[in-house]
Parts: sequence; structure tokens; C-alpha cells
Amino acid sequence: MENEVLTYDALVVGGGIAGEETALNLAKMDYKVLLVEKELSIGGKMILLSKVFPTLDCAACITTPKVSETARHPNITIFTGSEVKGIEKKGERNFEARILRNPRYVKEDACTGCQECELVCPVVVKDQYQYNLVGRKAVFVPFSIANPRIAAIDIENCSLCGACEKACPSDAIDFTQEPEEKTYQFKSVVVATGYKLFDPIKMPRYGYGKYKNIVTSMQMERELAPTRPFNTVLRPGDGKMPDNLAYVLCTGSRDHTVGNPICSQVCCMYSIKQAQLLLGSLPMADVTIYYLHIRSFGKGFNEFYETAKGMGVEFVKGKIGKISEKENGNLVLRYDDIDTGQVKEAEHDMVVLSVGILANDEIGPVFKTQKLEFDDYRYVKQVDELKRPAMTNIDGVYVAGAASGPMDIPDSILSAGAASSEAASYLAEVE
Amino acid sequence: MAGEKQRTVKVIKEKRTISDEVKANIKHYNKMKKLIKEALKEGPKTIPEIARATELPAHEATYYVMSMRKYGDVVTGEIDDMDEYFYYHLNQKN
Repeated sequence: MENEVLTYDALVVGGGIAGEETALNLAKMDYKVLLVEKELSIGGKMILLSKVFPTLDCAACITTPKVSETARHPNITIFTGSEVKGIEKKGERNFEARILRNPRYVKEDACTGCQECELVCPVVVKDQYQYNLVGRKAVFVPFSIANPRIAAIDIENCSLCGACEKACPSDAIDFTQEPEEKTYQFKSVVVATGYKLFDPIKMPRYGYGKYKNIVTSMQMERELAPTRPFNTVLRPGDGKMPDNLAYVLCTGSRDHTVGNPICSQVCCMYSIKQAQLLLGSLPMADVTIYYLHIRSFGKGFNEFYETAKGMGVEFVKGKIGKISEKENGNLVLRYDDIDTGQVKEAEHDMVVLSVGILANDEIGPVFKTQKLEFDDYRYVKQVDELKRPAMTNIDGVYVAGAASGPMDIPDSILSAGAASSEAASYLAEVE
Repeated sequence: MAGEKQRTVKVIKEKRTISDEVKANIKHYNKMKKLIKEALKEGPKTIPEIARATELPAHEATYYVMSMRKYGDVVTGEIDDMDEYFYYHLNQKN
């Protein structure tokens, strides 16, 4: 690419809500920012949510304006489908980063997102953006509100039939694209790599993966979203509209046995939110939430919890021992009723596992000259958590959002505000 | 000018081969699609009815019917009398 800029004020790693907020804040202060996102769209996990708690605002309605503003800001360059391979600190306000841009096999400036290519593609594989509930083609627009709304070819699953190239009205398909790795210079770095979700397959006693009517909270989130995989909320096991659903809180969080003893902070509230949405979507349904403690600590959260109770959501203080499946696909939950001290069983026709949040520590090996420190739970270590929470152990490297620990959307945005302020001060310092 | 339009795929075909897994996956999906379309030719069916007609496990029938629905081969119809299962039928526009 001719005239390509190779020097920026800041590198922001991660294009979720925290990365976007950081990039925008710095860009508005006239700093040049390169935002690197490994997925094909920016927006992170928030863009895939149905609604947010406790306001029940549509998640897409909040996040897409920010996504668009980030994408259009003249001071921000975005690389999607890209990875930061190595960061070396060469001196004060001097970082060098190798960035790999994976090919989309689609010309970004030519694709209109019309999806004509998808119609003719013969390959169907599981759609990772719908958490495997439905299929997608080998050439695909990641999801309807993706930014950039540009197709990409999953080359590993492509049949190389060339049908997409024939069908593309704007000649955007380009199989000659190659991975491209270049070195860029930065004055500061912000780590906004977010979190991972606990994989409940690691808890065989819950039967996830084996019993088809058990889903994760993220799968239910997709079922509730306007861009959902089904026409409504359905059991993936047989397409039945469920009328008796259970939530199992603390799946893979506050649990030493799975190596994640900490609270994920958002699971109680997103489960309560989904319960309310389910009652809106399936008015005749019964929803039961099995919990250890309800942690509704934020602004308006406890009122939100009370609203759910008022709507008829049942809360059972109980620890689930085992889930088994009946022949009709219903699930039997065996649990310790903490209030009565008795072991009980309850039958539900669909179970949602409210999975916990885990650290995404993939950024660790990226730092080559000076090691980025992590805390005991593999989140980026905040070296001065009380006074300067965005600071890391490397001068000039800051952390934003859930990369430093579990947090909800408003806290991620606040954290990004702190990270961008710290980065801006660092950039403004005179050597 | 269809010949010209196909030029870049020829370039990648010289460098990559299609895995047996990809070929098997395409074959399998087409087989499932054909089975489900055959089952729905007789009229709208619920997913358990499609599963019985095609001898597919119900969860697989759900996945394939929903994927076919996404790409316009199948459309959602009315819900059954028990308010449990939707009927799906072939998209007559295709």
C-alpha cells in the first residue's frame, strides 16, 4: 500500500467497547490511533448482545453509533482480522509492533456487503457469531450490523469453487490476497483485549454439549437478540418453544474446582435481564434462577432484581449438583436447597448455564522486551489499582476494560476513559 | 466475461487443495438439505416431524432447518395447537 502510515501515537489492542472508547477519546485529542481487532468486525461482545441491564436499552442501539464513530474518525485507522504479533519497547514513547493482517480474500474498498456471494456459496459450517446455533457460509458477512460490513472468506472451509467470484456484482472477491506483516511505530499502547467466556464443557456434571437443550448464557443472548438465529426462542434440541426454563448461576465462576474462584460480576445481572426478556418473549413461560448469592451491587441493579421477582421470576437459593436428561429432552436438576438444607430435584425443559468470565491472557507473549505482568487470575496487573487503575508495569502501556478484570459495560467505558487519560498524559509529557 | 471473473480463484487453486473434510461437509449438507426438502414437499412439518421423516436426530434437524431458513430455502409457518412447535415449509419463491 502506497503512502501507508507506519507511525501512530497510540496502538489500541482490541476493538470492543473499551478499545473503541479509548481510541475515540485519544482521537478527539488529535492523537493518531491504530486500532487492531482480531475479529472481522469491531464491537466486541457487546455488539452481539440483545439488551443491556438495568435499563433494557437495545445493546446494538447503544454500541453501533460508537462503532460507526470509531470507524469514521479521521484520526483512527482500524485493522480487523489482524493480530499484534510482537511489541518491543525501544525507549520512552517508542514502541515497535509487528502486526499481521490476515487476508479477507475480499477487496474492502469494493465490497458493498450485498451478500450475493453468500447465496451461491455451497459450504455451510457453524456460525461462530451465533455461537454455533445455526450455520453460515464459507464466504460471509460476519453479522448484519458488523463494521466493516464487508464479506470475508473462511479459507480453511472454502471449496475454492469460485462461485462467489462469479456472482459478485462489484468484482470484490480476490483470492490473491496474502497475509501481510509489517512493523509500526507507536508512542504508547493500550491493552483492551477483553475477556473469555468459561466453557461449560469443562463441567461434565452439567451435561453441556451432551444434552442439547442446555445452552450457555451467550447462546441465549443470541436467541433473544433481534438478529437471532431462530425465529424466536427455541430449544436447540428439537425446536420446541420452551415454557419452563432454568438458569444456573456461577457456572465456572466462584468455583475453585474449575480454577476460577472469583465472581464474574455480570452473571447475576445478565441472567436477571434475560429472565425479564424471556417473560416478554414467552409470556406463558416459567423462569427459575438457581443462585448462590445475588450480587446486584450497581446503580439501579437491586431495583432491577426486585422487578424480576415482581414479574414472576422464581429465585431458588440452591447449588446444582447434577443435571440429567429425560427421554423427551427435558432436564432434571438435582440441587441442594440452601434454605431448607434438603436435596431436591426439579424438571425444566431448557437450561441456561450462566457462564463466568475468564481472563484473556493471549497478549502476554506479545510483549517481547519487557514482560507485561498479570495478577493471580491472569488479568493484566494494575500496579496502582486505587490511584491510577489504568497503569500497567510497563511505562507507556495502559489497560482498559475487562482486560484488567471482570466488569460490566459502564465500568468498561469508565476504565477506557481512565486509560485514554493516562495515555494522553504520557503522550503529552515532554522528554 | 465470466471467464475473466474467475481468474483469482485459479491462482489460489494452484497453491491450496481442498481438504477431504470440506468436501465431505459439502456433500453432507447437500444430502441433509435434499432430505429435508423431500420431507417438506408433502406439506409443512414441525422439527420433530422432520426428524422422524428424515431419520435425523432432532437437534441436527433443528440446525439444518434453521440454516435453510437463514438462506431462504425454508420459511416459518404457524405454531401447532399446543403452542409448542412451529411448522416449517418450503419457500415457494425459490
